[in-house]
Amino acid sequence: MPNAILDPTGRADDTASERLDGLAERRADLHGLRVGLLDNTKRNAMLFLTEVGRLLVDEHGAADVAIVETKAAFSVPIDDEVVARYAGAADVVVTGVGDCGSCSAAAVADGIALERAGIPAAVVLTDAFGITGRTMAEVQGAPDYAWITTEHPVAVLEADEVRERARRLLPEIVGTLTRAGAAS
Amino acid sequence: MTAAVEAALDPEAAQAAIEHCYAQGWSDGLPLVPVSQPLLDRFLDHGGRPADEVIGRMPQTGREVTVRTAAINAAMAGCEPQVFPVVLSAWAALMRERAASGGAWQSTSGPAPLIIVNGPVRHRLGFNSAGGVFGPGFRANATVARAIGLIVRNAFGVHPHELEQATQGLPGRWAICFGENEEESPWPPLAEELGVTGDAVTATLLRTCEYVDNRHTGDAEQVLADFADTIGRSGAWIFRTAHAGVILCPEHAQLLASAGYSRAGVAAWLAEHAGRSTAQLAAVGKDAAPEGIRGPGDGSEDAAGFQRTLPGPEKVLVAVAGARNAGISMVVRLFADWSGASVPIPATEGR
Repeated sequence: MPNAILDPTGRADDTASERLDGLAERRADLHGLRVGLLDNTKRNAMLFLTEVGRLLVDEHGAADVAIVETKAAFSVPIDDEVVARYAGAADVVVTGVGDCGSCSAAAVADGIALERAGIPAAVVLTDAFGITGRTMAEVQGAPDYAWITTEHPVAVLEADEVRERARRLLPEIVGTLTRAGAAS
Repeated sequence: MTAAVEAALDPEAAQAAIEHCYAQGWSDGLPLVPVSQPLLDRFLDHGGRPADEVIGRMPQTGREVTVRTAAINAAMAGCEPQVFPVVLSAWAALMRERAASGGAWQSTSGPAPLIIVNGPVRHRLGFNSAGGVFGPGFRANATVARAIGLIVRNAFGVHPHELEQATQGLPGRWAICFGENEEESPWPPLAEELGVTGDAVTATLLRTCEYVDNRHTGDAEQVLADFADTIGRSGAWIFRTAHAGVILCPEHAQLLASAGYSRAGVAAWLAEHAGRSTAQLAAVGKDAAPEGIRGPGDGSEDAAGFQRTLPGPEKVLVAVAGARNAGISMVVRLFADWSGASVPIPATEGR
């Protein structure tokens, strides 16, 4: 009987991520809800999120933009401390814009972490990073997790084009954050 | 080879084992050495560290790497067991790089580790430090670099097209490891100048390498100016500054030393002179970096003003490697910054 060929992944000792058992509970609409924005540092991300926040307040009845933070490391998912700050300050969160290898995967992990904490989240990635986003969703125990996709690239857009992009994605973001979109 | 030994080498069994490794998704594209427990045990003996010791974590995916997992990957890469301490030190040196625990392995830049070995270990284990250091041909050089790539792939689970998102990647990824040519360097060994004498590894992550061929002048400043011009190339800038270094061939290193330059002197000259004018940067849409990221400016800057590429002389990597047969050196562009630290390679016995 020959010796077995050894596995180089070290995964035998791993405990797989706990499966995400459904998304956070959604309200029917955004009236009176506090919005959180989580900027991943990428060029145009803050401008995009700021415009989305403004539109959610002005046009969809959200109370205010209650918390805005820029990630300390775009490539690393947020930790429990950051999740807790958002859970304390906001009822819904919008984050992005994933337009690079590590930040896109991390943004998906952030969205899943927020859902686990009971906060509806809308994650925006460009269409160049679908596979890496899906791989991270699987790693995080949420293989079917859905995010919002926009055309790549975002970093080269002028300010007016960024605001137009925010306007265009608004219905999808509202749908994701409310019962309307979460049903799917 | 005797008939008895030939009969004991079973090519069909070897081929089946190699195909098994491919089928599991463990390979970087080239054949792997299938690893058995007795081979792993020899690596662990040489490693001299507890098998369960965790030597790296990837917070993005919740994965970690132990000495055992690193040993299996080093063996698969084709390392000899006695080289495993170099793999462990190279890994430790890379883990000191800020980017390696950030997004480097997933990055669209697809960076390559640069691993430089100092000390007598180079000769004992067969590391090439002379002709062709950036090329193939030497088992120790090739397999240590490959081992790092396999650890990232298998232990961290970073696979191309999935979590690894390199736009084009770069030639030499998981292939750049060499000894410093201490014998023909005019200066003390790199690691010694960084505070570690004897056997040691110095490592960082590269965005790419670009050669400078300058073999027809004996003027040190002309040679330095040629390096500075390559370092200053605008294509490599995406942030306010960019880190770079030079792997000097012995001929260039000796020319510079005979003109009075130390390693630090070379770094200082390059930090002072590498750059582009604001007008040159404006022509490529990179003249301003208000929040640290370069983009088109508003024209308010002095067009003739000079913008320096390097953030300063402190963390400019200067090493000596290659053959003493032509004035050909390599500018290395760092993916991010450099820790500027070397890691000792402990002497272990092994069985």
